[in-house]
Amino acid sequence: MLSFIGRSVIQKLVTLFLVSIVSFLIIHIAPGEPSQVNPLNPKFTPEIVERFRKAFHLDKPLHVQYFYFYKDLLTGKTTSWKDNQSVLKKIWERFLNSLPLFIVGTLITWTISFPIGIRAAIARGGIYDRSTTFLAYLLISIPGFFFAYILIIFVVTRFHVPVIGMETFGLREATTIHMIMDRIWHLLLPSVLGATGGVAILSRYVRSQMLEVESQDYVRTAKAKGLPPEQVHYKHALRNALLPFVTMFGLILPGLIGGSVIIESIFSWPGMGRMAYEAILARDYPVILTVNFISAVLVLAGTFLSDLLYLMVDPRIRL
Amino acid sequence: MNTDKKEFAAFPEEEALVPSRSRAQEFFRLLNKNRLAFAGLAIFILFFLTAVAGLVLTSGTKPVLDPALVRLPEKLRPPLSRPNLQVLRPEQIPRLGIYLLGTDDLGRDVFARMLQGAWVSLTVGFVAVGISVVVGIFMGGIAGYFGQEQIRADRILVLILLFLGIGLAFLAHPLLGLLLFALGICLWILCGRAKLRLEGSPWARFLFAETISVDTLIMRLVDIMLCFPSFFLILTVVALLPASIYNIMIVIGLTSWMGTTRFVRAEFLSLREQDFVTAAKALGVSKWRIIFRHMIPNAMAPVLVSATIGIATAILTEAGLSFLGFGVPPPHATWGNILSDGKRFIFDAPWLTFEPGLAILIVVLSFNLFGEGLRDILNPKLRERY
Repeated sequence: MLSFIGRSVIQKLVTLFLVSIVSFLIIHIAPGEPSQVNPLNPKFTPEIVERFRKAFHLDKPLHVQYFYFYKDLLTGKTTSWKDNQSVLKKIWERFLNSLPLFIVGTLITWTISFPIGIRAAIARGGIYDRSTTFLAYLLISIPGFFFAYILIIFVVTRFHVPVIGMETFGLREATTIHMIMDRIWHLLLPSVLGATGGVAILSRYVRSQMLEVESQDYVRTAKAKGLPPEQVHYKHALRNALLPFVTMFGLILPGLIGGSVIIESIFSWPGMGRMAYEAILARDYPVILTVNFISAVLVLAGTFLSDLLYLMVDPRIRL
Repeated sequence: MNTDKKEFAAFPEEEALVPSRSRAQEFFRLLNKNRLAFAGLAIFILFFLTAVAGLVLTSGTKPVLDPALVRLPEKLRPPLSRPNLQVLRPEQIPRLGIYLLGTDDLGRDVFARMLQGAWVSLTVGFVAVGISVVVGIFMGGIAGYFGQEQIRADRILVLILLFLGIGLAFLAHPLLGLLLFALGICLWILCGRAKLRLEGSPWARFLFAETISVDTLIMRLVDIMLCFPSFFLILTVVALLPASIYNIMIVIGLTSWMGTTRFVRAEFLSLREQDFVTAAKALGVSKWRIIFRHMIPNAMAPVLVSATIGIATAILTEAGLSFLGFGVPPPHATWGNILSDGKRFIFDAPWLTFEPGLAILIVVLSFNLFGEGLRDILNPKLRERY
């Protein structure tokens, strides 16, 4: 067990190191320089560009830049090129904005897809199964931005509530209940949109897991000895089908920072995804690289966590 | 002789031994039973024909349907409306005599623009997936077939020298780069020559030490690629590179080969232990022939399925990129940028949102359904007995 943990931590650290090199190279070898983003700006005189390059070590060779950048990142001193603010502070603020979206989206995904998937598996081949299968494909295939506009049209014309942004501007004097309802309305659409793909994929996965377990011998035995169907489905089958999903808790970790660029830009939601998008447009390399680095850390931590969880939950796996 | 032949011809078993249906017939029989997959295939063929027709009708200097023709008096006309012949010059009158899908905020015919966009979606889907499948089969095949072979330290040294040389030559110091490159080639030749002579000496132990296996190397590369948030990575690279459709295809292709690599590697690992591969080796068939003629066709089923679904994902990604304003430069229409332009008029001209949106939805859905159907058809375990 300990040797497994040690080995996989070392392996993940090596991977992280290589990811940091690759992402750094991708950004810096691409044509164009951040100091030339806006050549028409009259403030960008050659002296200022020179000072800018010096201040951010852009005049040094690549490997020295790499060293400077990750030293700053690990000591928490990286600053954005755009506005000279601390990158970690900026990311933290945006992260707090994205967090409610992530939490509500994940809750919706996990609470809806299980009942759908289980029922579809139990009534295999029936009208419910076939219609949910088709619906799942529909939800996987629909472009997020198109679905967003359909929902916006529907909600705005039907319920007459504002949905863009995080809250309605100028609601300072409103009562608490109004404020809360306002926040909930604003939160609802983006998180539903964020959950659609997840619901479709997860419910299909639940269905196939359930089907696999339902065809096992012990389920047939349980049925044959005359147990009530509820007990067979929910006690014998479901508990065993749940096993792979424990590991998926680790895999939702990267979603914390991903944030959907498209959905957040449609809803003007000041979250992680939009910050990353703005950073890309402004060629704000420290922000891009930091977001990339943190998400790589989360992916690796997620896979590590899911391996560990699997070890703990499944007694058949012993190292 | 003659009597022999007659005797054989008289045997009824002779015909019974031939499979009653050929492979293609069997495929279509199964496809016919899976109605959703069949619908997916039908829509896909329709989409293919539309895209080709779109390319023919809308390109060239004097296209039949001009997607870029601006008719300012005819802004935001709803679908199926007739053009107002009094305000249009003769060359501005639409060929069909009607705005089949309406016009946009500059009075351009949305039908022509949709046709033009269909070709973009089609090519992006196919080329991107083509790239990812080729890279995936190559990497997965190497990892699966040659996976157990170790890479010697001198090879790594040579490769590092060569790559450093090329990199330096193009980026900073051409002379130093060329020098390193030449050094790498010299080392390569020398090591090849000196291997036998240096056998046993302490030098050789370092230089020819076995470091890591090919399999580990490739699988670590896959792990590294999987660490990047894919849409964010694509967005970054596309934003940094000059806007062109080819860049998008290449970038989408190069960021989505990991799944194929894993499938092909897993298939190869199990196939190389099979009897027919051993038999081919025993017959002295060359290893490239074994790989390309015997193993890859047997490993294609999961690749085909994931490629079909990959096309759907690539089309969605391209639409998302054009929606965000990256991708194909503006006068050229794509479904994503028609929708993105139309979103400002979402309440006045909803057709500008709904037409491209529905088109993307239907095409992507058809690929997904066909892919899933293919998975069922190609998997003999799921087939029912008959």
